[in-house]
Order: sequence, then C-alpha cells, then structure tokens
Amino acid sequence: MEGKRRRLQSESQAQSVILLTKIKEFTRALLTDLTNGRSPLIVIDRFRSYCAVPDANCFCASDLPCGKEALTLRTKSRAHRLVVMLRVMLIVQKLLQENKHSSKRDIYYTYPSLFLDQSVVDQAINDICILMQCSRHNLNVVSAGNGLIMGWIRFSEGERKFDCISSPNSVHPVPVHVEDVQDIISVAQYILVVEKESVFQRLANDQFCNTNHCIVITGRGYPDIPTRRFLRLLVENLRLPVYCLVDCDPYGFDILTTYRFGSMQMAYDTKHLRVPEIHWLGAFPSDSERYFVPKQCLLPLTAEDKRKVEAMLLRCYLQREVPQWRLELKLMLQKGVKFEIEALSTHALSFLTDSYIPSKIERKLIM
Amino acid sequence: MEFSTVQELCLHLISSAYQRCRLSEQICRLAVILTRSSSSHPSLRISISDTGIGNCLEEFQDLRFSSTDFADNWDGMLSLKTTSIRDTEIHSYQINLKERGSSRITRLPSNTKNGAKFSGSEAYLSCFVSRDLILSDIHTFIQKNIAIQLVAEDCDVPESRYEKIFLANECKQLPASASNLELLKSGIEDYVVKHGNNLSNMCNSCFPSWEQLKVGIGVACCTDNRLNTELVMEAVILISNISVQNITCFREYDNRTEVLYFKDFSPCTISRSSMKALQSIDWKTYGLNLRGTVEQDGVTLLEWENLPTDTHIDIVLHVYHKQYPALDRSFLSLSETVKTPRKLSPLHRNLVKRAVKLSLDDLKANHSQAFLSSRALQIRGYAPDLAKTIAGLILSSSDLDFQGECFSLLGLQSQEVGTDTVESSIEERIVSVIEMNDKKPYNSQQVAPYLFEELENPVQESEFQENDFSPLDF
Repeated sequence: MEGKRRRLQSESQAQSVILLTKIKEFTRALLTDLTNGRSPLIVIDRFRSYCAVPDANCFCASDLPCGKEALTLRTKSRAHRLVVMLRVMLIVQKLLQENKHSSKRDIYYTYPSLFLDQSVVDQAINDICILMQCSRHNLNVVSAGNGLIMGWIRFSEGERKFDCISSPNSVHPVPVHVEDVQDIISVAQYILVVEKESVFQRLANDQFCNTNHCIVITGRGYPDIPTRRFLRLLVENLRLPVYCLVDCDPYGFDILTTYRFGSMQMAYDTKHLRVPEIHWLGAFPSDSERYFVPKQCLLPLTAEDKRKVEAMLLRCYLQREVPQWRLELKLMLQKGVKFEIEALSTHALSFLTDSYIPSKIERKLIM
Repeated sequence: MEFSTVQELCLHLISSAYQRCRLSEQICRLAVILTRSSSSHPSLRISISDTGIGNCLEEFQDLRFSSTDFADNWDGMLSLKTTSIRDTEIHSYQINLKERGSSRITRLPSNTKNGAKFSGSEAYLSCFVSRDLILSDIHTFIQKNIAIQLVAEDCDVPESRYEKIFLANECKQLPASASNLELLKSGIEDYVVKHGNNLSNMCNSCFPSWEQLKVGIGVACCTDNRLNTELVMEAVILISNISVQNITCFREYDNRTEVLYFKDFSPCTISRSSMKALQSIDWKTYGLNLRGTVEQDGVTLLEWENLPTDTHIDIVLHVYHKQYPALDRSFLSLSETVKTPRKLSPLHRNLVKRAVKLSLDDLKANHSQAFLSSRALQIRGYAPDLAKTIAGLILSSSDLDFQGECFSLLGLQSQEVGTDTVESSIEERIVSVIEMNDKKPYNSQQVAPYLFEELENPVQESEFQENDFSPLDF
C-alpha cells in the first residue's frame, strides 16, 4: 500500500515538472515575441461536447478540437483575457513549485479587481488546461467539493479513509483529490446517481442501502468536477451499472446529460469526465401516468423551460446515442408539464425506496 | 465660369496667375497693381501680372461677366499680354467678357521679345470700383494664400501709395522645387505659428521651436474621366500645443479646428461633401473624438471631445486639377452649388476622406504615442499588469537557468536585475507592440472568430489568424 502511495506521489510530481517546463516554454516564447517586436499570438483550441447540426453528421464525438481562437493584444477584451490567463498561470506556477493546492474561488480572491468575475478565472483555467494539454487538477486547482456519497464502498484518499461500508446509510463527502483515491473495495451491485441532495437524504433516512446493495452519489445539482471524476473512477474500477435519477424537468435532463456526455464548458476534458455507461432511471415524462402523479404536482413548463427543451432537442448526441431519451424529452415538450422526483412520493413517503427505484431496476424500466 | 463682380474676377485672375507660377518651377513674381491715374479719369486700373508659364487662351473661352449692378462699373474689356518661354514675341489680346461667341476675343499686334527668353502674362482692366473695396478683398485673399506684391496708388494724392509684399513661407525657406504639398504644409505651419496670420511674425512664446508642431500630410488622386484630367486632393493636419498660460495670445476659435479649404489655389468655403467626408472619418482610430461641426462667421469649425485644452488642431485641404488650365466646367463641378453633376460628389467625398486619413496615418507613423486610437489606449492600460505578470512568471521561477535566459532576452545584465527593471523593460516592449499594432489598419485584424463555426453559446469573442502561428501554440 505504501509503495502504491509513493508511486502516485511520484506520478503527480512528474506531471508537475512537465507542466512547469511547459509554463517556462510558454513564458520564453512570449518574451521572445515581445523582444523581437512581434505581437504575441496565443492560439487556443476550442472544443465542444455537442453541436446543433440536424443530420448529426458531425465529429463532436471524436473529442477533437472544433476550431481555434487566438488571444492577442489587438482588442481590449482579448488583452484582458490574456492578462487574466497569465496571472492565473503565475499562481499555478507557484502552486506547482510549492506543491500546494488552491480552489478557483481562492484564485479569484487573489486579484478580484483584475479578474472582475469568477467566470473569467474559470475561463483562464480552462484556457491554460487546453494550452498545457492537461486536466484542471494537474494545475493543483481543485474544487471545494460538493458531492456526497454513501453505500457499500470503502476507499482511501491519500491518508484519509472513507469506510462507508461500516455504515452504508451514513453520508460522506466525495473526495476532492480524486487522483489520490486508491484501495477501492465495494460489494455494491450498482451505482445510483441522484440529482438532488433532498432525494439523497430521503434515501439515507429510508435506510435505502440496507435493502439495496448499492452506492449512492449526488452532485447536489450540476455536478462538480471531483464528483464526475470520482464517479468515472468508480465505474472504471468496479464495472458496475450506473443509474441516474433526476427531476422530470429541463434542468434535471440537462444534469443527466452532463453526467453522460459532459458539459460544454469542460468540453476539452470531457473524455476524462463523462460516464457514457450511465442509464436514465427516471423520472421520465411518461412516468407521470405510469406512477399516477397527481395533477396538482404537474407544473406547466415556463417559456424559458420550453426554450431550453427546444435547444436541447437539437443536441447532436441525443439523436446519435440516446434517441429514446430524446423521445422522452419531446414528450415533455408535448405534455407541457414537469414534475419533481418528490412528486412520486405523494402516495407514500418511502415510495422511492420501497417501490420506484427497485422496481425500475428489476423490470429494466430504464433507458 | 461666370462672375458678377470685378472683385471675384480679380481673385480668379490672381489664382490662375499663381497656378502659372507654380507650373513654371522657377522663382516667379506675381504683382497686383491698383492705380487711379488722375481725378479727371477716376477709373481704377487693375493689373495682375506674373512671370509664370504664360496664358492659354482656352481659359478665357468660358469666362463670362454678367454684372447685376445697375451702375455697371466695368465695360467688360479685359486686356491680356502673354508669352511662353518658347514664344519669340509677346501676344496681345482684348477680350470682351460681356459678349458671347467667337468675336469676343480680338487679337492685337504682338511685340517682339528681341531674342530674350522669358515668360509671363499681364491681365489688366479699368473699372469704376472703389479702390479700398478691391484692396480689402485682395488683401484678405492673398494673406491666406500666396507670395504676392500688392501695390495701390492714387497719383493725385501724394503718399497714398500702398505697397505690401506678402512673402509666403516667411518663417521657413523652401527650395523653388518644393511641391505644392510641401508649400501647403509650410503655409499652414506659417499660418499657425502666426496665430492664424494675426501676427506678422512667428509667436515665439507659444512656439519656441518648430519641433513642437506635429504635421501629417496626405495626397489622394483620381481621374476625372469626363474631363480627362487628374484631380488631386492634398490634406495637411497640424497639431500644436500652446500653453494655456499664454492667455495673451489670441485664439480665435479656442481649441476648435478651423478647416481651411482651397480649390485650384483659391481659398473658398468648404463644400458640403467635404464636410460629410470629415464627419465620416473614424477619428477614434487616432485617439480623437469629433463632437460635431459648427459654422461661425462663414468658417467651418470642428469641435472635439476630450481634447486637452493646450492642444490645437489645424486642417487645410486643397483640391486642384493637375492640368492647367482647370477648365471652367471642371472648376464649377467642384463647387456643388451650380449644376453639380451628382456623380462627382461621392468621388470628391472619397478623395477628402482618403487624403485626410493618409495625413492622419502620417501623423501617427511619426508620433505613434500621441495618436494611439482609443482602443489601443485601452489595451495599453493592461501593459503594467501584463508586464508585472510576465516578470512574475520569470522572477518567481525556481529555475535559475530559465531566469538567466529571460534576462538575456531582455538584454539585462544579471547584476542590474531587479523586479522594477524587469517589469519596466517588459512593459516598454509591450507598449511598443501595442503601438505597432495600432498603426496597422484595423480591418486587417478583423478575422473570423472561429475556424469552423460558432458554438451554441460561444464563451467569448475571439480571433484566429491563419498562417500566423507562434511557438506559443503548443
């Protein structure tokens, strides 16, 4: 075990050395341009996780860049973006040299007057990852960690042990340093991903894992990177089926696609974050009839909901890889209503635990 | 071309005399002499003579005089003596400008030159116009225009002789071979340093040296197909800084800009199409904000926003036909008040725009820091942050070899390296790159944002330049 830990550490150090070399090469090239009186031109690949080409004859699934953009000193917005990127790169260089970690938020608060907005820092981090061809955690930039986990699993993150098995219905945070996760042991039969913390807590209260040998994870809304990386690590290591339970509304569906196909923002790193094995367990628009969701729980889609659904229907991966999902999404638009997972529990509080989830899995009412 | 007053005709004759002088490429003399011979003959003799290339009769073909004045102070008879350098004699003509048809020009006996080689012309007429009125008009005209000798004399009144020689370029000597544009440039410099010719000499307190004048010149040409002649538009823009403490110095228009406008060597009111051209120029590219234009006492003024109080901009435009004489139709076609062929207006506008833009580019090329576009100024605002960050990347690196390499790229000796030195050295280079970028036309930098297509939600505007990769792209 000690040897494995040392190997992980040395791998991470080697990665840091490579990145520091790349940062130096970058700085040297930038300086050479400036000293030769050339205007710097930094070309950054652009990636996308989907497009809206109707015949789906695209190469979005290839993970190849779909274009390039350039940072120069020729417009104010690009000059600002360049300054921000270099400032973040300076912070990253220090983090790597000192083997320290920082969150995106910490970085933002280093120079809030220059950065102006958190999204600007996020973009700079993405730009650096694309330029350096690495993932965000390689830059020693980590998220605070938003995800929760419980169930039939045990693992360690560096020195820290996560012994969920000893109390499968106890809630643990998802590890932040996923690259340091090792010694994963599980007796689970499947992994259940739930969109919302409220549903996760409902399952914990219902002692869901007592009767169902599984691992339950939630990203508490749109999943952060550690949650997605950790889920992917579990799927790769444990080879278990994965099911996803989301609200029957446009946001629930979008969260489902984020788990399966990745987000547009992180498209450059999608191949390390997506979980193509994930199945949609519910709630389907068609579930409202199958499970007799009371009419008062069916809320009309707002204009914004409709716009979002219409935009999502155009995403190329739906038609290409999950046409059934697309049909259900279309049904949502046709019915013009949405409902939350909790709406299924109007008949009985523990309906999800006792009936809905087990029956769906058993009868393969999944997509 | 039709004139209704003797004054107008005189100004035209002076202009064409001046053009003949310019074309001779020799030092020439142009004299305007107004003489009232005696009280028994109260007529005023006006003589306009020059040592230029000599007249061409064609220029009088379309010349007309139609006085609406009931007093009818002139009979319309213009006498002309002219000779070119190749001629062996001096030709004499009498032209009746009130008559139409071929009989209006009468050839008079010639005089021999006795083998002498010279050229020149004299046009003279006798009229009953007030000497003072004509004198005042001509004075104003030539004050802004040319080197000329102006003499007015009343033989009956002793000591009534008025004589003044206006020497163009009093302050700066130019070779005789100087081009029209060089003369225009010199003329506006002269005009500015004399506070719009309100002083007889250069104002030394406001202009201790010529170096403080920033001058940009531009020329645009096009062929006027109808007349088969080349139309030239010359523009000179002069920026001067006058200390606001010199309050005693006269500033007629504060820091608004007077646009001096010349057509075929004559000062005149700026045409509407030229005004439109000036309004449509993207001044911001040169760090200037045009607020608008105003008319004041027949003078067109440009008003600026955020122009430093000590900065003054002067603009002079000169449009002329390269070929002499500028036939009447062509002359008229530029003054859009009389039966203007519509098609010439955009042509003219375009010429003004091009010439002014070229002179602004010229200013920018020679004084890049002073004429950074508002966009470049904003970008330059990032230079300190950018320099600080790049210096940080170098100085905080734990790789000393890398640091040494960067210092040598910056041309710094290791013993002189300090944070401030590195930062200022980098900032200097960044600023120079921004200035260099600003000199390039903005359109050449406008490129497709993405190589292939737009994303559903593009994260940020961006640009891509083909075949222009740098080692930074790895």
